[in-house]
Amino acid sequence: MPLKTIKKETADTLMLEWVLHVKDYKLTLNKNRCAGCQICSLACPKEAIKVEKCPKLDGEKAGKPVVDVDLAKCNFCGICDILCPYGAIRVNLDGKHLLSVVEKESFPQLIRDIQVDTSKCPIDCVECEEACPLGLIRVSRLTPDVKTVESVSPLEHEKSVPKLKVDIQREYCPCCRVCEVKCPEGTIRVRKFLNGKININTEKCPTGCKDCLDVCPITGALYLSDEDRRVHVNEAFCVYCGACKIVCPVEEALDFKRTRINHTSIRSGTWNKALERLASPVDMTKELKTKGSLKARESVKKRVALKETQNA
Amino acid sequence: MPRKTTQAEGKAKKGKRSSKKSESKPMPKVNEPRIGVFVCQCGSNITSVMDVEELTDYAKTLPNVVHAENMNYPCSFKGQEEIIAAIKSNKLDRVVVAGCSPRLYEPTFQRCVSRAQLNPWLFEMANIREFSSYCHKTTPREATEKAKDTIRMAVAKARLLEPLEPIELPMTKKVMVIGGGIAGINAALDLADMGFKVYMVEKTETIGGYMALLDKTFPTLDCSICIEGPKMVDVGRHPNIEIISFADVLEVEGNVGNFRVKIRKNPRYVIAKNCTGCGECKDACPIEYPNYADMYLGVRKAISVPYDQAVPLIYTINRDYCIECFKCVDACGARQAINFDQKPEAIELNVGAIIVSIGYDMYNPKDLEWTGYGKYDNVFTALEFERLILAAGPTGGKVIRASDGQKPHSIAFIQCVGSRDINMYEYCSSFCCMYTLKHAVMLKEKYRDGIDVYVFFNDMRSNFKGYEEFYNRAQKSGVKFVRVKLENRRVTEEPETKNLTVHGETEDGKPVHAKVEMVVLANAAIPQQTAPELARILNVPLNKDGFFIECQPKIRPIDTDVPGIFLAGACQGLKDIPYSVAQGSAAAAQAASVLRKDSWTVEPLVAKVNEDLCSGCRVCESACGFHAINVEKAGDKQLAKVTEGLCRGCGVCASACPMDAIAMPNYSDRQITAQIGAVMQKETRA
Repeated sequence: MPLKTIKKETADTLMLEWVLHVKDYKLTLNKNRCAGCQICSLACPKEAIKVEKCPKLDGEKAGKPVVDVDLAKCNFCGICDILCPYGAIRVNLDGKHLLSVVEKESFPQLIRDIQVDTSKCPIDCVECEEACPLGLIRVSRLTPDVKTVESVSPLEHEKSVPKLKVDIQREYCPCCRVCEVKCPEGTIRVRKFLNGKININTEKCPTGCKDCLDVCPITGALYLSDEDRRVHVNEAFCVYCGACKIVCPVEEALDFKRTRINHTSIRSGTWNKALERLASPVDMTKELKTKGSLKARESVKKRVALKETQNA
Repeated sequence: MPRKTTQAEGKAKKGKRSSKKSESKPMPKVNEPRIGVFVCQCGSNITSVMDVEELTDYAKTLPNVVHAENMNYPCSFKGQEEIIAAIKSNKLDRVVVAGCSPRLYEPTFQRCVSRAQLNPWLFEMANIREFSSYCHKTTPREATEKAKDTIRMAVAKARLLEPLEPIELPMTKKVMVIGGGIAGINAALDLADMGFKVYMVEKTETIGGYMALLDKTFPTLDCSICIEGPKMVDVGRHPNIEIISFADVLEVEGNVGNFRVKIRKNPRYVIAKNCTGCGECKDACPIEYPNYADMYLGVRKAISVPYDQAVPLIYTINRDYCIECFKCVDACGARQAINFDQKPEAIELNVGAIIVSIGYDMYNPKDLEWTGYGKYDNVFTALEFERLILAAGPTGGKVIRASDGQKPHSIAFIQCVGSRDINMYEYCSSFCCMYTLKHAVMLKEKYRDGIDVYVFFNDMRSNFKGYEEFYNRAQKSGVKFVRVKLENRRVTEEPETKNLTVHGETEDGKPVHAKVEMVVLANAAIPQQTAPELARILNVPLNKDGFFIECQPKIRPIDTDVPGIFLAGACQGLKDIPYSVAQGSAAAAQAASVLRKDSWTVEPLVAKVNEDLCSGCRVCESACGFHAINVEKAGDKQLAKVTEGLCRGCGVCASACPMDAIAMPNYSDRQITAQIGAVMQKETRA
């Protein structure tokens, strides 16, 4: 008998489900978090995800590219979930966010390297909370008995013991570093997990078009220059998701490529292929070589250490 | 029949028939045929309508007839001896028996005349029973005249009969069994034990068929895989059996004794000879997908076997789901059994006989809206239920609802879902009644009073050994049987509790309703999906329901119309396990009776091509319904070539041939024109 499958789509979510008698696989796409960046579709080993440009209406802003998942091809492996920089896709097994590919070490995880040292936080400061383009940061104040108080501005008598707590919803954070730059005291340190290069070719870029800017979820990564009415890039903030590249109407107007992805170290054919598509074959080979030389170095180290112990 | 003269040329004396006058009958000259006519009384079958003496006397007047007599039962031992004696004493060289249909008795009389050192093809039969006495009972005079015509025609043809020699075809002492279900397994084991090489071709990854997926078997409640498993292992280990699993039969050419089979072995991406079946790859694999062997209630890994008892125990990678992380390659290590570059393998076999045992399929009742299947969570098919109650199944033998995972307190079984319905499948699926009784008894014995079991049936079919007793056992165990009409049945659901109500109507029109927590449908069994394709490949016809047609439903239920191809199991007609097993063994015996011969004898009544006349136009090729004639390159010419083992001697090619290049031995134009001439001879009529 055929498998019971469900596909539901609402304005906010897209949901796919395999309802087996003993197991329940569910993939949920949160359309509000999704930037339409194509990373999932590039990484999907079953080519089940399609990202298509949203038709643009005259005089309106460019819409986010639309993501669709093919129920017939999807195998609920969760690789899209792992790689989505915005955490827009969740694959659940029996309602739990447990991914077999992670458990069996057959696919790496992204390293979201975010460090916060709240001891340096000035009282009253909510710069990071306000700066985060995705609204993922929440600053709250702790009372001496470590209870959270809603308001940040402390009561008069508490001024002597300032203590702030910065909560970051890491699973949704694309590591754009806006908070790091905006923080007046250097409390937050963020390392990007996606690295690459982006450049707008001013000769090709049509004047007045700001489609890329419309879809970019990171405020400040792209900006409209007052001088030439064209969009410019601030690479400091760009997360290299590539949503801009999809909507750009002119070929070669936007040079975009990913080079390196920060991830947990793992041996996996699926990852090599994903990296090849997300970055380039050259970058994939580079990573493989690095892994190889690291391994060689380690084995040499071990041998030397062994000899030393023997000599000793 | 088009007028042809080719066969007549240079062969025989022309114009013989027109010179005959019954009164002034000259004795046959030297070298002229000497014909004996034997008129059968056939008890009262013929004599009650016609006067056989008159027929005998009439036969004596016909040209070249030197002896005529009537006797009761020439087919009997005594009758045959009399015929032999008459042949010898009268030096007969042609024999005509006027009696019944040649369909049954021609071979008997052919053997009889050959015992008198006469070529068996110098024998002709005149059917005066079916053609005259049976169908013209009320008009004996006309019947007798018609019988005379029939005899006259037979004699006219007998005069021109030519001695023929049977054709001997070489025999390959190997056999192919298509389909590794319980019927095919038995056929293969029997043949292998007799010493024949058996190729078992299986479409899926493992042999075993549906029986391997069942929990228990009725009426004994034996564990199904426990009794089939050892047989599967025997097949896997038998030195004479080669299993070609995960393979499709693409093409079958040739005829009995020498079938040439083309098979495509699909890639498993695992090297069979290196795979030890240890399962370490499966443990390393991160991907799961719905398992067809669990009726999609459970899952299996992207590299796995469908169930632990699989034979051959070779793992398979499903590339539809595999993400190619190569963790399995690491796990397999030095065994190096995994090869992602494996390609489909083409296999060519030469076999002498073929057994078809491809089994059946199950109808998906989602189109039958009244059942609620696919719409309501707690409606299951019988096979799904089988996997639920199976201890090795996805739920570990717990019967639980899909909606909340709880054990139901009441279950209704609904019979005849799709079957016995003239709009769906008119036939009875034959084993549903029994497996429903089995499920009901198993539930009652497992949960005692903790469960109410209803069976909504129309007719309970529990014939065969031990089945009625099993029905009684079900009734005694407290299963409630509700007889309802097949019409107006309906299942509805309460949306909050996901409980179901079965609505029906009793035979006297009273509505019945039963509130239950789970419904199990006895959905129709249907022909295997691949049956039409295989029927085309083998040129064995299917009946209107899609099951293979046997040669004769009563006395030849194993043979097909194609010599050397036999049927076993549910592909011939739905049947349960004991009867599939019996039919498997029967097919093996039939195949062995063919394979044990050193050559296969074919009647010489096959089309013969005159190569000088054939233009290679291919008209005969498209006319032949048996793929028995093909145009092939021969030297610098295209010539029609007859595959003698496939030709049934129907003569369609001969009449279609625009060049008159095809002749049918003993059905030549000359012989048929002689018969037509004889029947048109008005002056000889009384």
